[in-house]
Amino acid sequence: MPIRTFQSKLIALLVAALVLLEAAMLVAVYVAGNRTLGRIVSEELAVGTRVLDHILTTRARRLADSSRVLARDFPFREAIASSDVLTIASVLANSGERIEADVMFAIALDGTVMAEPAMGNLVGRPFPFPQLIARAEMDGESSATVSFQDRPFQMVVVPVLAPRTIAWVCAGFEIDEDVIVDVRKLTGLEVALWSVSSRATPQLISTLDDAKRDDLLRQIGPVTQDRKSTEQAFALGGTEFATLLQPVPTADRSRVSALLQRDLDSARRDFVDDLRYIFGISALILIAVVITGVAFSRSVTRPLRTLAEAAGRIERGNYVTPVSLRQKDEVGQLATVFNTMQSAIAAREIQITHQATHDALTGLPNRTLFRSRLSGALSAAAGEGRPIGILVMDVDRFKEINDTLGHDFGDQLLIEIGRRLVQTLDASDTVARLGGDEFAVHFAAADETRATDVARRVGTAFEAPFMLGEVSIEVAASIGIAMYPLHAGDADTLMKRAEVAMYDAKKNLSRIAFYEAGRDEHSLRRLTLMMELRQAIARNELELYFQPKIDVATRRVVHAEALVRWRHAKHGVMSPDEFVPLAEQSGNVGLLTKWVLRNAIEHCAAWSRDGLPITVAVNLSALDLFDSELPTFVSGLIAEAGVPAERLVLEITESAVMRDAAHALRILRELKRRGVRLAIDDFGTGYSSLAHLKRLPVDELKIDKSFVLQLSEQASDDLVIVRSTIELGHNMGLKVVAEGVESDEALRILERFGCDMAQGYFMSRPLDDTAFRSWLATSEWGRRAEPATTSDPQSPLVSS
Amino acid sequence: MRILARHLTAATLAACVLAVPAGAASIDVRVRSPRGAAVRDAVVWATPEGRSVPASTASAVMDQKDRMFVPHVLAIQAGTAVRFPNSDNVRHHVYSFSPAKTFQLPLYKGTPPNPIVFDKAGIVTIGCNIHDRMSAFIIVVDTPHFAKTSADGSAKIGGLQAGRYVLRMWYPDMREEPQVRRIELSGSEARDVVFVAARGASAPPPGP
Repeated sequence: MPIRTFQSKLIALLVAALVLLEAAMLVAVYVAGNRTLGRIVSEELAVGTRVLDHILTTRARRLADSSRVLARDFPFREAIASSDVLTIASVLANSGERIEADVMFAIALDGTVMAEPAMGNLVGRPFPFPQLIARAEMDGESSATVSFQDRPFQMVVVPVLAPRTIAWVCAGFEIDEDVIVDVRKLTGLEVALWSVSSRATPQLISTLDDAKRDDLLRQIGPVTQDRKSTEQAFALGGTEFATLLQPVPTADRSRVSALLQRDLDSARRDFVDDLRYIFGISALILIAVVITGVAFSRSVTRPLRTLAEAAGRIERGNYVTPVSLRQKDEVGQLATVFNTMQSAIAAREIQITHQATHDALTGLPNRTLFRSRLSGALSAAAGEGRPIGILVMDVDRFKEINDTLGHDFGDQLLIEIGRRLVQTLDASDTVARLGGDEFAVHFAAADETRATDVARRVGTAFEAPFMLGEVSIEVAASIGIAMYPLHAGDADTLMKRAEVAMYDAKKNLSRIAFYEAGRDEHSLRRLTLMMELRQAIARNELELYFQPKIDVATRRVVHAEALVRWRHAKHGVMSPDEFVPLAEQSGNVGLLTKWVLRNAIEHCAAWSRDGLPITVAVNLSALDLFDSELPTFVSGLIAEAGVPAERLVLEITESAVMRDAAHALRILRELKRRGVRLAIDDFGTGYSSLAHLKRLPVDELKIDKSFVLQLSEQASDDLVIVRSTIELGHNMGLKVVAEGVESDEALRILERFGCDMAQGYFMSRPLDDTAFRSWLATSEWGRRAEPATTSDPQSPLVSS
Repeated sequence: MRILARHLTAATLAACVLAVPAGAASIDVRVRSPRGAAVRDAVVWATPEGRSVPASTASAVMDQKDRMFVPHVLAIQAGTAVRFPNSDNVRHHVYSFSPAKTFQLPLYKGTPPNPIVFDKAGIVTIGCNIHDRMSAFIIVVDTPHFAKTSADGSAKIGGLQAGRYVLRMWYPDMREEPQVRRIELSGSEARDVVFVAARGASAPPPGP
């Protein structure tokens, strides 16, 4: 259902957009958070190193301060000055305890240890960190981280002054767990200290629990090679630690690194909590949007669905139920428009239906509606075995009325006739106008008496003269009646037969006629013939006959007119007069003409090959002149047959050219351009003006045979017509042919008048090809023709 | 030029004054750093060989002014009694841990009633227990013939009889034993001796 789709699309779009937005936001938050977290951790670790550094520095300073105080102690100095070793050792022990030093030395100026109370075994030996003393000599005092007893120590060396330096005091703190615990307290970081002295195994002290410390110990080895501060991640006991390795500078060969470690998991925990919170809010927003989206899309789709239902109703032809939407928005407006449209469609449909089934002029049912009603009535009657009669009538001489009194009058008359018919007949009878001046009525009739009665009543409707405006006119009608089931079983046949009856009535002037069986067989034969003609053309069942035309002056055959014959299986040989009009009516004349042209040109080519240079003439139908393809077709045939174009003469009647003069002229000129010769056939029977004739691109004029058939010295009218026609033709530069020459006298008259060619039974009737050839061989006309074919293939008449 | 002239004049005057006892020899000492700078407050002393010298009954003063010992370097003959008057209005606690003379004058003002007699030759480093910056040196020698270089690094030991002497030189920054020269003087000879102080006067004073 498209509405569902729209709704879900809308929601899908909303949700997709929002999910995308939220996902992007979450990713952004996550990325930014992670980066911030990394920065914070790094910062924390850096702070841790500073704190450690500060603690160590502070301790060193405190140590230095305390040592300085000790070194200035007068009794101590006295003891040093007097080399009272026991006293010195006891003072050192005492002071060391007081300042919480882990180791104390008194060192003579020569670098030997004077006293060292903690262990004592170093007394008299060189002080192990001479570099501290050297630095103290330079700077007044020194402090540094060194490895002592394989443990990292902060050592401070200060001079004993009296007031010149008389000895050195060294105090040392072990950098032990206290330091890293302090750093951890201050920073919250895990702290470890890694020290490697040259001899012993590496030492690691850490604030981590033992398991993690051991993990760290395993991983740290390769990492601490670096002298620079590096940040590194360690997974210790399943927890990830960001670790900053900070080398602590030492004054000896030992290496000490401080490790500041941040538990990343706990650092992330807060961040993940924040993410969850944001995620929760996003989810809530999403839900809220979906709910809102569903509500909104429903508010949009519900009226749309209502409208769709309404459209569906209209589609099914229900124009009654209106759309009821009380919305004032666009959809509401649409609903209003819908309702307006609905009533407009309803009105228009009624109008269209009426127009389709009724005659616009009289308002009566038209042929379509009449036919459908009749069919309905027939099928209803079929069940009951009840007879039905129809009556078809037309107005006598209506065309004349129209022509003389005008179409408006004719229309008024038709309206009035319709009105009278409706008035005269029962309401149950259907009166219809079939078209033109043809009306029809169908009525339920028990028998022919009842039908005749209805017909009479129709007749009475015409008794009174029609008064239209100033004009009073008497009109008669011819009525044909056909009965169901007596005359036909279906509406079409019934109507046709009623029409046939009507024509009978008109012909017999009987006013009313019933259909008589077999009346329409004539028209049936015509129909059959038309079909058969098309088949005959396709099957080549036609035949060409040729009638020669002789040169009057030389008495030689120069032309032959091709005439088509149809050897019909049932009707025998049929002349063109019988079937050409039929072909013209059925639209098959084009096919016929083309067949004739092709065959005539083929014959002409065959004659030419056999040394018979005879020009062939073919008759064109008026309809052929509407075929724009004709010139191309003709030249194609000529080229195909290899015949000169001048060997073809096309004969056209005057009236054919007059039908659509402009178009015909165009076709003729086109044919002429291609070298084909043209002749006006049956000249003298039409009404073409001489001016018009002058414009035609013709070469020959054929005088109609009606003027020639009876031509004799006694027929003065014909003599005048023939003579003046020949003169006219010559004056227009045309050759003149006389048709229908049936006597030697006629031929001699024509010769006297200077007629160019003659054609007729006197020379020969039309012959088929075989007969024509033997006639040529045997007759005097044909024998005379032979010398010319060898010396001059072109007719001297034609070429001159 | 003018400075040089003044120097010449001063030298001539000094020569005239010191040349008063006729028939006596003298030693003109110059002490300089390896770079040639004059070393002041260097002490030189000439001990006659084979002859005993009478003990000193002289007295000297090591004053304390503005929290400084004045003079910074005091040369005396053994047996000399030295007074340590306190000219400051704060108390001082003068002490020495030097083996030549160990003593202390606990916090006092004014002049202590009894001078301290330095009867043993040696270098005594003097300090104040409450003022770490205060320091001084008393060089106790076993001869009456001694002198201290002035600002130009020169000193003159006059009134010497002919004979052989051991000439020693010490200056405050010295770590090792005094430098020693053996010389023999004839009647009225004025001998020039130059010492080069290894550490020089430019070395910083010891202690903070």
